[in-house]
Amino acid sequence: MSRRTGLLFLTPALALFGVFVLYPMLTAFSYAFYEWQGTSRGGFSGLTNFTALFTRAPFTTDLPRALWHNVAFFLGTMAVQNTVGLTIAFLLHRRDRSRRLLQTLYAMPYLVSPIVIGYLWTLLLSPTFGPVNTLLTKVGLESWALPWLGDPDTALWVVILVSVWQWIGFPVLLYGAALGGVPEELTEAARVDGASHVQAFRRITFPLLVPAIGTVSVLTFIFAMEAFALPYAFGGSTGNPAGATDFISLLFYRTAFDSGATDAIGTSSALATLLFLLIFGGAYAATAVLRRHERRITT
Amino acid sequence: MTARTTRFRAALALGAGALALAACAPSADTGDGGGDGDTTLTVWSWRVEDKAAYEKIFDAYEQSHPGVTVEFKPFKATEYNKILATGLAGSDGPDVPQVRSYGGLQTTVASGALMPLDDAVDLSAWDEGIVAGARGKEDGKLYSVPLARQATVLFYDKALFAEHGVDVPTTWDEFIAANEAFLAKDITPLAVGAKDDWTLPIVHEVLAAPRFGGSQFQDAVASGETDFTDPDWVASVDVLGDLEKYMPKSVTGVAVTDAMTLFSSGQAAMYPGGSFDLATLQTANPEMDLGVFQVPPPPGSPSGSDATTAAWADGNFAVNAASPDKEAATELVTWMATPEFGQMVADEIKQISAVPGVTYSDPVLAQVAADLDDRGSSYLLLTDFRYGSPSGTDLLGKGVQELFLGSKTAEQVSAELDKGVKTWFQPAS
Repeated sequence: MSRRTGLLFLTPALALFGVFVLYPMLTAFSYAFYEWQGTSRGGFSGLTNFTALFTRAPFTTDLPRALWHNVAFFLGTMAVQNTVGLTIAFLLHRRDRSRRLLQTLYAMPYLVSPIVIGYLWTLLLSPTFGPVNTLLTKVGLESWALPWLGDPDTALWVVILVSVWQWIGFPVLLYGAALGGVPEELTEAARVDGASHVQAFRRITFPLLVPAIGTVSVLTFIFAMEAFALPYAFGGSTGNPAGATDFISLLFYRTAFDSGATDAIGTSSALATLLFLLIFGGAYAATAVLRRHERRITT
Repeated sequence: MTARTTRFRAALALGAGALALAACAPSADTGDGGGDGDTTLTVWSWRVEDKAAYEKIFDAYEQSHPGVTVEFKPFKATEYNKILATGLAGSDGPDVPQVRSYGGLQTTVASGALMPLDDAVDLSAWDEGIVAGARGKEDGKLYSVPLARQATVLFYDKALFAEHGVDVPTTWDEFIAANEAFLAKDITPLAVGAKDDWTLPIVHEVLAAPRFGGSQFQDAVASGETDFTDPDWVASVDVLGDLEKYMPKSVTGVAVTDAMTLFSSGQAAMYPGGSFDLATLQTANPEMDLGVFQVPPPPGSPSGSDATTAAWADGNFAVNAASPDKEAATELVTWMATPEFGQMVADEIKQISAVPGVTYSDPVLAQVAADLDDRGSSYLLLTDFRYGSPSGTDLLGKGVQELFLGSKTAEQVSAELDKGVKTWFQPAS
């Protein structure tokens, strides 16, 4: 097939991508550099909308807090998802018959919308009617019957853990595939040379899993930075209680659609642009590091 | 008037990576028949649930105005602001859009999309606190006609009160005694859902308005005579802290839907909310005998301060400045200020009409309307402190959560509210 025919086949997809993804994205970037009065665009305003994000209330308090929550969400998800996910994948890898079934079961919550998941867990954890606290009280753990989503100390953790619970099937599948790709000869040879199970895992299997861990990490980073649906289902657009579950996307939503400020389009576009740069920059840097590691283990 | 064409515009919101934008689809023409003197007015609204009621109302209008057809087109409430902004920015918007009130109206006014109505409509006999919600903040011009009044109210379960021999309190001591009586019987006295911060400024208004002084305080704060660090305001926030023991346990973890369930299932005696909750409560438990009363002034309330019901305008109708049938559209909106329309709003949509002198068949609505006419005030944080960001309601909602969690005192909550709104609020004088 000639180069030209190839391009011809690409055109429909490129046109759709251009009209529905690229064009709106570029317009949003441009919106951030203008003055706005409601929906009517004023003159070019340089970086005014961006400086507003760092100098004006409520951004001065809400933006750093939301950013910290995004970072905590990423770190927490990484810590739990990678360790638990890898452990489950490793344990499943040795089972021949039940592996498929269990992998499917672990991936089940993944199929349900995060809004529904959030709503279900809100009901489960409700201090008035929720079965979780009723159960804890019944078995004598009354001091554990906390207002899970009503206390800023526990609310963010609930969001993180429920998110991990929902998405754990994804790393289990990815790590499962990566484990299947580790040549058995290598571990067997190491075992013959007298390496213990732990040594074989640490020296042979784990380094070969790093590309998969890297992929999961980059995807988790993107996922955590643009988290919206689950926090929204738990704490609404204001990150209840008292901003404990606020995230950048929620702040964007409030600025764009709830604030009633006449320059909402300008400031929210500036915020969206910053978020994009953060995600793009972070993902790009992580991928670059990953590539270097991959080159090292393949040569 | 000649035939006019309607165009469809598709608004597409793209959420990828939190970038939301609107794109337009090419227009398609639909003829609406045309002919001599035929006018079709389109009305946009976010009240999908009221479609049948509005169609009935506009049928009455069409009969008294031959040659005019009114098309009512409701959209999903959560998407409405975006759809309306797109519609008004182009040439395919409605002739008569339903618009938000107070601060929510200002973006639309600033875009220059609405026609001033001062010459067409006379609302001088109306409650000024309600009409203020229909004006532009900058120029003070009237840009819409208020549809309904919402009020902050304390609902109570009449059967539960009778069963436990509790009378409707007329003094603060009686109010506290009533709370204690229910608490002793293991019934939650006040069903509050503090997990949803937006409900808390309403709860504050219902339970503590007389403590800061209602309308008197509103005038003083609007003119810059005082601000939210005023000792009476701080004390009113403290009233909520004092009443927390009568609310559900771990109140910041309780969602407002849980609070309403507690109340409608007879596990709670009183529910501080809005008149907009009435339909939900009646649907949740049709058997329930609901009543409303005004909370008596707590001790220390400023002199002359009395129990009150606070209200705000909700859901105004305006005229699109780009409408090709501005004259007919203005006539329709003018009709929306008549008692005839107001009575239909009360009977068909079951809301408290903004038009004065309307009667209500529902006893609870009738009581709220009478309380408003008798001792009404404005829901201050919504009517005066939603013209900028951070809004007064957002700040107090979050602040009261912090008060309940014990991380802030009433002074700190009030000081932060004051500091937050002062970033944009300018007193009148």
